[in-house]
Amino acid sequence: MRREPVLDVRRLNKSFVLHAVSDRTVVAFADINFTLSAGEHVALAGMSGAGKSSLLKSIYRTYRPDSGEVWLQIHAGEYVDMCSLTDAEVAAIRGHEIGYVSQFLRSEPRRGALEIVARSARQRGMTDHDAREAAAAALHRVGIEERLWDVYASVLSGGEKQRVNLAAGTVHPPRLLLLDEPLSALDPENRERALTLIASLTHRGVAVVSIFHDLEAIQRLASRVLVLEKGRLVAERSPDELDERLTSAAR
Amino acid sequence: MTNDVEYGRYPVARLAVPEWMLKVERLGRVYGPYDDTVIASTGPEIGSSKSAVNGAVVAAWDVSFEVAAGEALGLVGESGSGKTTVLRCLAGDVAPSCGEARLRTTEGDVSMFDLDSSARRRLRIDTLAVVYQDPAEGLKMNISAGGNIAEPLTAAGWRNFGKIRDRASELLTRTEVPINRMDDLVRSFSGGMKQRVQIAKALANSPSVVLFDEPTTGLDASVAAGVLDLIRSLLEEHRIAAIVVSHDFSVIEMLTSRCLVMQHGRVVENALTDQLLEDPHHPYTQRLVAAARA
Repeated sequence: MRREPVLDVRRLNKSFVLHAVSDRTVVAFADINFTLSAGEHVALAGMSGAGKSSLLKSIYRTYRPDSGEVWLQIHAGEYVDMCSLTDAEVAAIRGHEIGYVSQFLRSEPRRGALEIVARSARQRGMTDHDAREAAAAALHRVGIEERLWDVYASVLSGGEKQRVNLAAGTVHPPRLLLLDEPLSALDPENRERALTLIASLTHRGVAVVSIFHDLEAIQRLASRVLVLEKGRLVAERSPDELDERLTSAAR
Repeated sequence: MTNDVEYGRYPVARLAVPEWMLKVERLGRVYGPYDDTVIASTGPEIGSSKSAVNGAVVAAWDVSFEVAAGEALGLVGESGSGKTTVLRCLAGDVAPSCGEARLRTTEGDVSMFDLDSSARRRLRIDTLAVVYQDPAEGLKMNISAGGNIAEPLTAAGWRNFGKIRDRASELLTRTEVPINRMDDLVRSFSGGMKQRVQIAKALANSPSVVLFDEPTTGLDASVAAGVLDLIRSLLEEHRIAAIVVSHDFSVIEMLTSRCLVMQHGRVVENALTDQLLEDPHHPYTQRLVAAARA
């Protein structure tokens, strides 16, 4: 018997209408279908511009898809369609159920790392005290030293910011974790730490959709690879039959 | 809990979303006589809020939204878009031409626009506070900081002088105004400090709704940053329903989770704040975001 999916993306379409350029329409992706179970890690592969990041942002609803459905399991056997929720409902679901880690820390001005990560934990429903403890543990896991915890995150290095971001996205394991090149600025040691962290989350049942720019990360972490080409899902591969051209490293 | 209707293949979860604290429906404010023809002769498609039919100005029309406790809603737009008109109607400074605004209070829902003027003043004292762009609107310049804060407290029935002073110094401490300035005239304060006193006064009776009208516009960047940080942490500490009017996307991004975009008196787009910034749909929103990102 097939397990109930955590995520079921159906016939998802996204385009942008650029009003400043005589209303030109740019298709980000079209007719995307895939499902994802708990503990499964799906990597998105394809050339830069294939629509990978747009797809992640549309699942998270930072982008508003034109049509289609994004079913997300939020309790055993119960689902919501991210595309038909109200804004307030999307905000609630994001905080509780989805971790989104982008390449760049959208660092809020004048906030320290501990505060950023603790905030994320509170959104997942933890009390103030538990959130701070969880945040401290999460920062330790990604190797951010204590002396940096109260420094404004905006002045940290690129790699440190990325690790703060990862800590915030994973502080309390979300049901669904969306990773958009979360390792791109990390040195080998921290990269190794992050890889281990992501693998352990999958092991604990977190469903992951990821974009990595290197083949090695995909091959170590992903159970399946979806290949995008010009906004279309063109193939599903197993990680070991993937070749370099299909990762965004080809940029 | 599951809906009766199965949607697609999956049982649909019913979500617990915080209930509204303030609900505005079809709010409008028109300067001059108007009918359907006059209204139809204004708006974003026409490119003006002033009617070519009779010269009436439709400053705001058909504005609807809800704000929940612990949530901050942004009203964005250029000057003249109608955002401040909406705020002033809610504050009671301007009479709306039509529409409804309901406020949830401990004594039940109140239809704000139906209240008489004394009930309306009462509401401003203990339930709905406003922080204006110009501190001179929210404060009396020739009274001390402590005296300004004492005003809403005494209006709410505080009589004990010592307790009023304690509350005032608590509020000034929280808003980072040096306590030794408590008895100085507000007139002698710097712009940022005045704004902090105004915020302290707004919070005096722990209101459930606070309206912020361009709270940092006109302040030096570093001073504005301090005031913004203060507002942000106050919104996190107290479960306030807030409305933030601003033309500045960095303020909106920092303080709000949802926004309405207004142009020529109409709401042209509403969305989560990150959606407006990353995937704006309306031509006007796209222009605003492009300008802010430049």
